[in-house]
Amino acid sequence: MNAPTLASGATPPPASRRRYGTDYRALILGIVAVIVVAALPAMPFVNNYLIAVTVRALIFIALGQAWNIVAGIGGLLSLGHGVFLGLGCYATGILFNEYGLPPWLGVWVGALLSLLVALMMGTMTLRMRGVFFALATIAVSLALDQLARHYVDLTGGDNGLALRFLGNSLWFMQSRTPAPFLYAGLVFVIVYFWITKWLLASRFGLEMRAVRDDEVAAAAAGVPVFRTKLLGLLLSAVMTSVAGSLYMQSYQAIDPETAFGLSQAIQLQLPALIGGLGTAWGPVVGGAVMIFLSETTNFGSTKLGIAGVDILVYGLLLLAVVMYAPKGIMGLFANRLRGRR
Amino acid sequence: MSGLETAMVPVLQALLSGVLVGGVYGLLSIGLSLAFGVMRIVNFAHGDMVMYGMYVGVVASAAFGIDPLYALPASFVLMGILGALQYRIVFRRFVGHTTLNQLLAAIGLGLALQMVAQLVFGVDARSATSIFAGKYDLIGPFFFARAQIVAFALAGVATILVELLLRKTQWGKAVRAVADNIEAAEIVGLRSQRINLMAFALSCALAGIAGTVMVTYYPTDPTKGFSLMPIAIIATTIGGLGSIGGAFLGGIFCGVIQQMTAMLWNSALQDVPLYILLLAFIAYRPMGLFGQRSE
Repeated sequence: MNAPTLASGATPPPASRRRYGTDYRALILGIVAVIVVAALPAMPFVNNYLIAVTVRALIFIALGQAWNIVAGIGGLLSLGHGVFLGLGCYATGILFNEYGLPPWLGVWVGALLSLLVALMMGTMTLRMRGVFFALATIAVSLALDQLARHYVDLTGGDNGLALRFLGNSLWFMQSRTPAPFLYAGLVFVIVYFWITKWLLASRFGLEMRAVRDDEVAAAAAGVPVFRTKLLGLLLSAVMTSVAGSLYMQSYQAIDPETAFGLSQAIQLQLPALIGGLGTAWGPVVGGAVMIFLSETTNFGSTKLGIAGVDILVYGLLLLAVVMYAPKGIMGLFANRLRGRR
Repeated sequence: MSGLETAMVPVLQALLSGVLVGGVYGLLSIGLSLAFGVMRIVNFAHGDMVMYGMYVGVVASAAFGIDPLYALPASFVLMGILGALQYRIVFRRFVGHTTLNQLLAAIGLGLALQMVAQLVFGVDARSATSIFAGKYDLIGPFFFARAQIVAFALAGVATILVELLLRKTQWGKAVRAVADNIEAAEIVGLRSQRINLMAFALSCALAGIAGTVMVTYYPTDPTKGFSLMPIAIIATTIGGLGSIGGAFLGGIFCGVIQQMTAMLWNSALQDVPLYILLLAFIAYRPMGLFGQRSE
């Protein structure tokens, strides 16, 4: 059997439109969105809750952008990207709590750890069929989950790890109000968007997509299949880990379930899936939609007094997207545009 | 008894308990392996079928006052029907290749099934009362939970029956033909969709009886489905994805390693060696112990 193991369906858009000239409408839309988000704290009727929700959306967009690279562009079935989120969170948190290392430096320790774990997972499994990589990502996240629960002295065990709070401090990336994280999150989303754009336009990104669509054909055309997959995974792992460190600073706490649990893994996947796998805009649109839905259902379920409705929504959302709109919102959008022409 | 023999007793006890626990892990895994072997579907909702099978036992014992083991046929049929529905609604479109979409659809389905169970049965752990529960047998210096012996025996019988079904009957031949080459099977007149549907229903029915057997000594709650999946996945991979007997032996292997780790190292970390083992198998022997396909 030599068929590709991932038929994500996210075939690249017609090259003619992409290659020549910028899509100015999208660019203007993006700039307006950035300005609106940046101006949120200055707007009337905007309270800290709304800003905190926006921060959450920005962080999950960034995490979704990182997952999008490995799964959307690279076609690797990563079901355990929480591994890298968790490593980023725990590394910055533990180094700060135990040794007072500022997160500006802790980030890179977490990123290095994630790089090493990704390298190990990748070299062990990426030569095999895709399903084995998927199983390996699950195994690593479960193993880290059990280890994090057991080594209580280091990780705080089941209860999790809380950052020592020192008050507002740029050097330690701590703040009483969520507004600073709004700008940090915005920077992340813009940089990650730019990385995705660059990847989609670059030779390396083209090779990744070639491997995703047909491994054998890509190999025949001279693409180094294994190396392409591995580099894609490493890039995505580091991006997830660095965004994970921001997650840690913003929430100031992490526990094994939040880091390595299944529902977190799904939250890392949903932005790209809802928005459109393999596209630069997909995770941005999808992340915003996901956080909006989860906030509304959380609000609704507390009103109704039923726990866990958000999990049900996530499950049904996964099913619906995968079965009826595998190209996500961007796919529906593109179809309508093409239909009009 | 000499000193060495006395020292060996706990090790052998762990080994034997591991085999007994592992037999049930095997029963969890054979259905998963069947669905993968025939349709290349990795059904992450398999554990939830097991969880529903456990609730069948709970309902039988709580509402009808009968032993969960008498509810086995009901569990088999109910989960078979549920499996057929799942296949018709969701998995039909994913036959043939393990894709990201297929994995995610199974996870989404699993979450939905878990939440439905939570709405129907509540979040609290429930258990069923079986005639074998809480009874222990002492054989020489070793003791065994009788419920686990019964469960092990049932698991072994189920595995042998499924192997015979696939190898000796006309239907089994058809299933294997569809698994090998779906186009060729259709050319010779096999209805691949119907055969896949039956195979998937069988896979879920096996999950159902695994759950009903387990609930005789192990309480259930709505999250049991996902917490049982790792073991089933590891057992299936070690045994060779797609191999029925392999999945059973893989389950026993997992049980033994778990019990040995718990005894020699730390029971809180009893699963960690399994995850490492899974990675090692994927890297060095992806066909597992008994899988034939090398691709």
